[in-house]
Amino acid sequence: MMEIRVGKLADALGVHRNTVRNWIKTGDLAALPTLGKKYVIEADDLLRFLRDKGISKDRISRISQDMAAGGDPAGSFASLSQNNPLTLQKEVPMSDKPVGSVLMVGGGVAGIQASLDLADTGYYVYLLEKSPGIGGAMSQLDKTFPTNDCAM
Amino acid sequence: MECGRHLNIEILTLSEIVAVAGEPGAFTVTIRKKPRYIDMDKCIACGICSQKCPKKVDDDYNMGISKRKAAYIQYGQTVPLKYVIDPDACLYLTKGKCRACEKFCPTGAINFEDKEAIITLDVGAMVLAPGFNPFDPSGFDFYGYNTIADVVTSMEFERMLSASGPYQGHLEKPSNGKSPDKIAWIQCVGSRNTNQCSNGYCSSVCCMYAIKQAQVAAAHLPAGSEQTIFYMDIRCHGKDFERYYESAKTEKVRFVRARPHSIIPGPNNTGVSMIYTTEDGRQITETFDLAVLSVGLEAAQDAVDLAEKTGIALTPYHFAETGSFTPVSSSRPGIFVCGSFQAPMNIPSAVARASSAAAEAATALIAVKGSLTKTKTYPQEKDIAGDGPRIGVFVCSCGSNISSVIDVKAVTEYAATLPHVVFSENTLFACSTDTQDVIAKRIEEHDLNRIVIAACSPRTHEPLFQDTLKEAGLNGYLIEMANIRNHNSWVHQKEPEKATQKAKDQVRMAVAKSGLAGPLDQMKVDVIQKALVIGGGLAGMNAALGLADMGYPTVLVEKSDHLGGNAWHLDQTAQGEPIRPALESLIENVMAHPRIEVLKNARLTASSGTVGNFESRVDVSGGPTRTIRYGAAVLATGARESVPTEFMYGKDERIMTHLEFEDKFRDAPADVTAAQSVVFIQCVGSRNKERPYCSRVCCTHSVKNAIDLKVENPDMNVYILYRDMRTYGTREDLYTNARKLGVIFIRYDLENPPEVSQDTGNLRVRVTDPILGMPLSLAADFLVLAAAIIPNETKELVELYKCAVNADGFLNEAHPKLRPVDMSVDGLFVAGMCSYPKPVDEAISQAKAAVARASSVLTRDEMQLDAIKSFVTDKCDGCALCVDVCPYNAITLTETVENGQTLKKIRTEMALCKGCGLCEATCPKDGISVHNFTLQQLRAQVYAALDLPN
Amino acid sequence: MSDNFEPTIIGFLCNWCAYAGGDLAGISRIQYPPNLRPIRVMCSGMVHPEIVVEALSKGADGVIVMG
Repeated sequence: MMEIRVGKLADALGVHRNTVRNWIKTGDLAALPTLGKKYVIEADDLLRFLRDKGISKDRISRISQDMAAGGDPAGSFASLSQNNPLTLQKEVPMSDKPVGSVLMVGGGVAGIQASLDLADTGYYVYLLEKSPGIGGAMSQLDKTFPTNDCAM
Repeated sequence: MECGRHLNIEILTLSEIVAVAGEPGAFTVTIRKKPRYIDMDKCIACGICSQKCPKKVDDDYNMGISKRKAAYIQYGQTVPLKYVIDPDACLYLTKGKCRACEKFCPTGAINFEDKEAIITLDVGAMVLAPGFNPFDPSGFDFYGYNTIADVVTSMEFERMLSASGPYQGHLEKPSNGKSPDKIAWIQCVGSRNTNQCSNGYCSSVCCMYAIKQAQVAAAHLPAGSEQTIFYMDIRCHGKDFERYYESAKTEKVRFVRARPHSIIPGPNNTGVSMIYTTEDGRQITETFDLAVLSVGLEAAQDAVDLAEKTGIALTPYHFAETGSFTPVSSSRPGIFVCGSFQAPMNIPSAVARASSAAAEAATALIAVKGSLTKTKTYPQEKDIAGDGPRIGVFVCSCGSNISSVIDVKAVTEYAATLPHVVFSENTLFACSTDTQDVIAKRIEEHDLNRIVIAACSPRTHEPLFQDTLKEAGLNGYLIEMANIRNHNSWVHQKEPEKATQKAKDQVRMAVAKSGLAGPLDQMKVDVIQKALVIGGGLAGMNAALGLADMGYPTVLVEKSDHLGGNAWHLDQTAQGEPIRPALESLIENVMAHPRIEVLKNARLTASSGTVGNFESRVDVSGGPTRTIRYGAAVLATGARESVPTEFMYGKDERIMTHLEFEDKFRDAPADVTAAQSVVFIQCVGSRNKERPYCSRVCCTHSVKNAIDLKVENPDMNVYILYRDMRTYGTREDLYTNARKLGVIFIRYDLENPPEVSQDTGNLRVRVTDPILGMPLSLAADFLVLAAAIIPNETKELVELYKCAVNADGFLNEAHPKLRPVDMSVDGLFVAGMCSYPKPVDEAISQAKAAVARASSVLTRDEMQLDAIKSFVTDKCDGCALCVDVCPYNAITLTETVENGQTLKKIRTEMALCKGCGLCEATCPKDGISVHNFTLQQLRAQVYAALDLPN
Repeated sequence: MSDNFEPTIIGFLCNWCAYAGGDLAGISRIQYPPNLRPIRVMCSGMVHPEIVVEALSKGADGVIVMG
């Protein structure tokens, strides 16, 4: 049994605190609330969770070593924050040979708008749609509020 | 939809992602493309395959209410307009026999050998918008969705209402085909429900669509029909939505605050019986002709699969995870998300997020912008001035679509006899690529200078033929089409002789008009590739930063002495992210950006010009007046908290507004957490006569504060007095959480508001609890008023730019649904609270959307405008009748002095004119006309229709 | 009026709605009598009253402005 803080775990994993709270809420992360806004969790549960989230094996083994040695688990998290799949956007470098096209997945009203904006700004767009035609749910609507305009 | 023709958009239908590899800027995506069994290049969408197809299946597009064939199109305006064979239904593909469509297809487009293909694409970024699924209520046996005929989902009802739907827009009861005169809607089916399903969130669109459906149904049904909506809270938190709700109430839509717990079959096995409990505790059984389940929006399984294949994180509700400050960035760099994949959202939000995702993707790839796009060039245009009309007529057979009804040979021969026609020819497919070459050749051979195509609709095909003309060196406006397919052969199939006569008349009319057509120059405007942003709040700063990151020098004008606006007073976003650090780093980035110039204490005093080419004067207090030239502007003037006049505000320092309370909570937290009782009153100055709109952010704000108070001091009594809780979308979780923590919610009515009194130094709030039916008296250490959000003053800007505001003073968009950040004046865009109150994430996403939209203007060196515009003739005498009718403010009256006489005449601003011709119809003396639609041309068509000499 | 009277009706159709509706009627194969002579306009508001009167006085049996 070990204690974790939502904020520390979130920082270490590079995700938002609410994401961690959500994991706990849904039971993905089998932690129980305890005093002082902390949670307790079985070490095995945490390791399994990290594995499920795609954290590499050596990192996980490093954590278990740390814990076996009675170290502070939060400390070993800190080493995780680089290069892990949960880290947010800006920390990953861009390719040095970027490609001037964008893949748009979904041909509903949002997909169409994004495609037009991109194509009009100088990017080649592939618009991917799983059905035979684009238009999405909006084409099924009769009229739209508040003006009662025709959805087409 | 212009998407289908865009030179730089390639549509891959029937396709899905298999895998994604690579890094941001250079992804390699593997895609599986399913077979269509119809050659898209050959299919001309004649529909014969579908007519001949013997197999019928349920039509998904009509939610299974009607049938379609195995060879089909989804709906009449599908893009691409190409048929497809459903391999699960096709008799040949399932049982090995039939191939009827193949026999009848006039172009040989059917290809049963079509195979699934795996393709790989190299792309720099990805935007995911897989959309939502309507909730399937089959699992709710208490609503009898699968067992009672007259229980339908709202999506099905939408198709039932539609003129293109299975009932052609005539409402009928599925059980017996009779008119459903009494309809009930049940809200929150599959939303705000963690008992029977795990969708704890609010789907945020259902209240509005139910109200819309009720109103439209009332219009479809005979007088005396009844519409009832059963709801928990009505959530109309969008722009002008509250008015729509109020108008529904006055139009006798009945709103009942109750959640029917079960539906049973109605008497005689038609209609339904519903049992519900009213707020005051009475149990009522009522019968209706039809029950509509307002189903919520859910993440589609496809979307979950997509997230897995692309490796992006989802929230517990299976929506894509994003942050309030990066509202369209997924957890994987280089992959952006938008639309209902993020959270249930309505059309304008989805469109705005789509544009902001486009902006993010474009910014990420700014280094390689334009590297893969194509542009088209045309030969020098022939000068035809002084040449008499030499008209060529091409009569299309459209396979057999036209020729099976109309005698195309007779029409072709007839065309040759018409005045000015020097050549006529019948073609099998006028739109085919080889026919374009033929047309170009004929133009050359016969020195044609005007072309009439008798075929299908100019709405779909005129651009194609314009292109052909341009490639042949003719002005694109010398084309005229006679629509002898959609408006003739397809709709007069049983009357071939009359149809042929009509086709001749149509050709004659088109020839008559064409003879009067002249070449038109498309106006070109040089684009100044710089931007102006007005307003230095969160939205304005994000817009400026976005534009500058896209490479455009940007001037940011702020009227006060500091950037940041309202955000300085806010502590956390609804998702719980602290705002101040983000705000501080944003300001730092803006101030440090080499392409941004910030002008504080500044305001616009004059403005002129049009899209691509604006010029404004900016007065800077204590500095020189600046003249700024720019191609596009983003207006982000913001809004502010109003000063309440009710609930004793200003008479006691313990009564404060949201922002004041927020400041107090931050600056003196101990004072606040020591309180024993805090009361929040919602809708203070909103949703009343004076301001008939919802301020959108206050419910979430109060609930968020209430949670913080309860967490800090669980013994505190926290009350929220509300009218409808509007914690839309995933904000509903906060509401649920607040109730769990023991926050007490008490509803009140506008007619019966809480009363605040001071009683020997203590604040007391009296309110009637609608469930107990009893008055309550609450002690309050603090009383927090959710004061209405009101727009900042924009009168000067509106006057300078001639843009529009709504009745509440919020800036108006060009279209409330489809163009949520464009303004009615081209080249102007709107972001943030100046268009409507909105939380941080929505303001930022709108700002980024404005960046995308503005950069589609700024990216060009020059803009071409459509040449269908008004022009002034020498008959104009300056009576100025047209000035007032012009909806685009494109007409001004000018005075010149000539030989001592003042001459009045009007002038039209080409860039503003949209060619609607209201001026033409208003002018009593033919002083103003619209190119290609002049009175002479319309008259010529009328005369030709009546077979009179012009 | 004889039974085989065929009126000539001049229709002014707004490009954005009525004309589009006409196109859709075609796609949906909705059959209607062939007496309409459609004229496409960019907005039904551009139809000058004079032209309506003129059409009627020159022999049109009906004029319909749709938008």
